[in-house]
Amino acid sequence: MTPEQIVEATLFASQTPLTSAEIARADEGLTTGAVDQAIASLRDAYEAADRAFQIYELGDGYQVLTRPEFAPYLERFDSVPRAPYLSSAALETLAIIVYRQPIGRIEIEEVRGVSATSVLRTLADWELIEVVGRGEGLGRPLLYGTTTRFLDHFGMKDLAELPPPEELPVVLAELQEAFDLGTSGETAPADGAVGVE
Amino acid sequence: MSFWQQDSHKESKVYAGFRAESSPALQGMTVETRLPDTPTRSRPRSPIVSAEPFFVELDRFQGPLDLLLHLIRAQDIDIFDIPIARITKQFLAAINVGLDDMQLERAGEFLETAASLVRIKAQLLLPRPERLEWEEDPRAELVRRLLEYEHFQDVVHVLQRAEAQRGRHFGKGFVEARPMAVDTRQTLQLTLAELLEAATRIPEAPPPIRVRPPSTGVTVEEKVSLIRRLFEKAKRISFKRLFGPWGTRAHAAAALLAALEMAKQQMIRIEQTVPFAPIWLFSRLPDAADAPDEQQP
Repeated sequence: MTPEQIVEATLFASQTPLTSAEIARADEGLTTGAVDQAIASLRDAYEAADRAFQIYELGDGYQVLTRPEFAPYLERFDSVPRAPYLSSAALETLAIIVYRQPIGRIEIEEVRGVSATSVLRTLADWELIEVVGRGEGLGRPLLYGTTTRFLDHFGMKDLAELPPPEELPVVLAELQEAFDLGTSGETAPADGAVGVE
Repeated sequence: MSFWQQDSHKESKVYAGFRAESSPALQGMTVETRLPDTPTRSRPRSPIVSAEPFFVELDRFQGPLDLLLHLIRAQDIDIFDIPIARITKQFLAAINVGLDDMQLERAGEFLETAASLVRIKAQLLLPRPERLEWEEDPRAELVRRLLEYEHFQDVVHVLQRAEAQRGRHFGKGFVEARPMAVDTRQTLQLTLAELLEAATRIPEAPPPIRVRPPSTGVTVEEKVSLIRRLFEKAKRISFKRLFGPWGTRAHAAAALLAALEMAKQQMIRIEQTVPFAPIWLFSRLPDAADAPDEQQP
């Protein structure tokens, strides 16, 4: 029994992503390092053999999933388990949370211009977000952050796969500069008051 | 982009659908009507265009910012130089259509933005003797919010792409499709006579429930005098007799209070041999001493 086979068996039988540590529990001889190594060689083997599935990294875990090119065949079966696509409101709220976490409800509502109470509850029910702490402000508001489930839903290994947040303000700052120059000219302050972040 | 036509008649179509008379918020307000890029003198009003005012399906928008951003972007308006009057008009016209059917909270969100648009316009119109050094364009805050909102719309698109991509991968748990459900619906076959006969077999509606008229109030004093009257005829009386004929809680409560009060004043004695046994009231009034026993009720 090679480590590869044990890891493969564990991943094959699992319906959810497994971390290296979880896989390592399968055998006393396995370490997380050995698991990672085994997964790397399994991935190469699947790739070389042109298998219909591959080991993907979701959040901090691994899961065997079919390759995307086989989706058209699998989608013909209406009972294929898959997460429902999120609503615009849910995506909008998640977009704010993922870049501003930890963030409270009021701040989310300020950005969206609409109430976020029910959508936050839904997202928490789906375990895409969770309460990660309490703010300093009045009433110690709940602060939300994204979960591992969030990474799984969007097929991400970690949040670094999103466009870096610092790049987005740069774009906005450029736009802001144009605003300062375009309308109010020298009367507009160059810093602070009209800043985005 | 279903309603903002992308052709050269964009402006005229936009204005053809605008109903200023239906926007009470705009009435009595001096609005800027002549913007350089706005057709003011002769708005083309072709019968086709005026026959169908544009409808903004508010449901398509996440909220007021979404709608506002759409109005700006669909018309290629420079976001750093928003013609507030024009946008306000269009915004009000758009929400006017759907406001009545909207939930109160959602309507409030749209109205709040409409109000701040009008406020910005008012600030722009106010004459300022001198522009202070630190003063910023009244529109700056709005632009900031719109840009921030738009920024997160980009994030939404990133997430949407990621979600769709992830949706193309399937994990374990794949199961066979369920067999098609057999259609068990059948056409009802019967004649009119059968239907009528069945109708006659429907039992008559049950008699209406008799509702006891609301009891007039009863006082403890009334019960005391009742007890006194009863003791004129009997040495002992059943407690139940004090309220049984009326059958209401008010009478029972009043009778209980009356009995307790009289017992406290040593006018009667209350006896019950065992729990839940009948309660008897015995008179301790001197004039009832020789009256006969009341019979068991």
